[in-house]
Amino acid sequence: MDFHFDCRLRFTGGFCYDVAFDSAARVTALFGPSGAGKTTTLELIAGLVRPAQGQIRLSGRVLLDTDERLWVEPRRRDVALVPQDGRLFPHLRVRDNLLFGFRRRGKRVLTGADVDRATTVLELAPLMDRFPRAISGGERQRVALGRALLSGAKLLLLDEPLGALDQRLRIRILGFLERVVHEWRLPAIYVTHSQAEARRLAEFVVVVERGRVVGAGEPHAALGAPRPLDWTGDEGLVNLLRLDQVVSEPDGPVGVVSGRRLLLPPAPAGAAPPDFVEFSPGAVLLSRGASADISARNHLAGVVRRLVEVGGRVFVAVDVGQLIWATLTPQAVRDLGLAANESVTVIIKTHSLTFVP
Amino acid sequence: MPQRSQRCAAATSASAYPQRQEKGRSVTAEEWSATRLSLLVAAAAVCGSLPFAIPIAFLLARWRSPVRSLLETLVSLPLVLPPVVTGYLLLLAFGRRGPIGAFLEQTFGLRVTFTWLGAALAAAVVGFPLMVRAIRLAFDGIDPRLEAAARGLGAGRWDAFVSVSLPLALPGVVSGAVLAFARSLGEFGATILVAGNIPGQTRTIPLAIFTEVNRPDGMPTAARLVVLSILLALAALLVSERLERRAHG
Repeated sequence: MDFHFDCRLRFTGGFCYDVAFDSAARVTALFGPSGAGKTTTLELIAGLVRPAQGQIRLSGRVLLDTDERLWVEPRRRDVALVPQDGRLFPHLRVRDNLLFGFRRRGKRVLTGADVDRATTVLELAPLMDRFPRAISGGERQRVALGRALLSGAKLLLLDEPLGALDQRLRIRILGFLERVVHEWRLPAIYVTHSQAEARRLAEFVVVVERGRVVGAGEPHAALGAPRPLDWTGDEGLVNLLRLDQVVSEPDGPVGVVSGRRLLLPPAPAGAAPPDFVEFSPGAVLLSRGASADISARNHLAGVVRRLVEVGGRVFVAVDVGQLIWATLTPQAVRDLGLAANESVTVIIKTHSLTFVP
Repeated sequence: MPQRSQRCAAATSASAYPQRQEKGRSVTAEEWSATRLSLLVAAAAVCGSLPFAIPIAFLLARWRSPVRSLLETLVSLPLVLPPVVTGYLLLLAFGRRGPIGAFLEQTFGLRVTFTWLGAALAAAVVGFPLMVRAIRLAFDGIDPRLEAAARGLGAGRWDAFVSVSLPLALPGVVSGAVLAFARSLGEFGATILVAGNIPGQTRTIPLAIFTEVNRPDGMPTAARLVVLSILLALAALLVSERLERRAHG
């Protein structure tokens, strides 16, 4: 995808929005806190909001150019927005919701076979005759995703599609999203305030705060450090470790991270072995010596790479083969004599680890 | 002048009901005529108003413009004006020498005043604010983001309105129609000025009740017409409830 976005908008109340970015990635994440302007960005791309000034181009096609007074109306933009709450039409059954966009725009580029494929990938067949009020939140999200896919869009706009779901459903729908992105090969712009989701799905991340872009790049670079500003998102800075391997042992599953063992919590019954685990920096302890007499079982030797003080806390980045962030008080940092290139042991409680499929 | 004499004479004519029924007996032909006329006038008023009320209600719910308050005021005016004042203004506009009335009669041969059409017009105008308010409330209750979702999926503005907004507003449309229908059944002041009180042509139930009450032996007939009026109102409410329930799905 070749995507160019550059828009300026002033809201009543004085909030100024000025966001610009270019992306060639298949999945671009817009990451930032609530009120940052992420949803506004999607609405501008979809043509639901007009900026005071701006340019939007998708694969060489101009959707908006205020200098040239060019404006493509929403139904002709070939983009489909999947809102956070799915926003299904309550008076239409699931089947009619699913086919809403297909009947208007999608049938020009898609066929009945594509409808069957979407229905199968998203497991929608049992829901077709029901009304939205009779299906669950996760099911509504799947229908909304299917509706967007079948609208013939060339770009999907996903506005925190997992935001309204509980953890169990998030994992399940995240799996569907990955299948959709992989099988349909549609470019997508994915809005999230979850670092785990951004890292999982996106090849390019744009960090938006208070209506401005404050960083952009591949996920590790854009998200790999705490921000020197007040917010850190709903989850705070999140540690995400890739598991090279998961083996079953008598004491429970064990993950292998850069050659080191990590005792994992029991996996949900019937679940596939996870690829990632996530945990909060607040769940990490640091020790300068051996710590056998402690209940936490995961001890990983590493080297301090960075210390960043943010809002009265000190974020310490430790390289254990992958980077792990710990949150300490300034006093703890002083008492332990922590500094860059110092050796430390990272201690993580097994039950603070959460699987990310 | 024939129109005024028709209004006054018909109101007090001793020959309004030349064939009197006994007290407490079945409804007369004239009473059925008044009932049928009331139903025709109310139905015509509602059917004629809906195509205007729905788009106006949608505009009032969605339009962000200073002109919106002016439109709102104009629509609400018949609600606060005395019905006879409304009737007087309609008479000025639609009378045979009025700008609209003269045009209709000369171009289409259509006469509005002192016909059932005039009664329907009067009923439509006084019921219009009630209809618009109920429908507007329904549109206010619809999340505008649903319409935006439809447009984002390839629907134009009109398509989004017809496929999403209007079906969701249906209970409000039904409610507005019934309110206007009931109001039309009871309309008196504007009707008597615009349509007169001509037996069999413009004498609706309220006018018939007024006529009978002003007659020395008209109370039993008036009472029967009152009962008919109540039964019609109850029937309208029952139908409305059923339709609203069905519209809610």
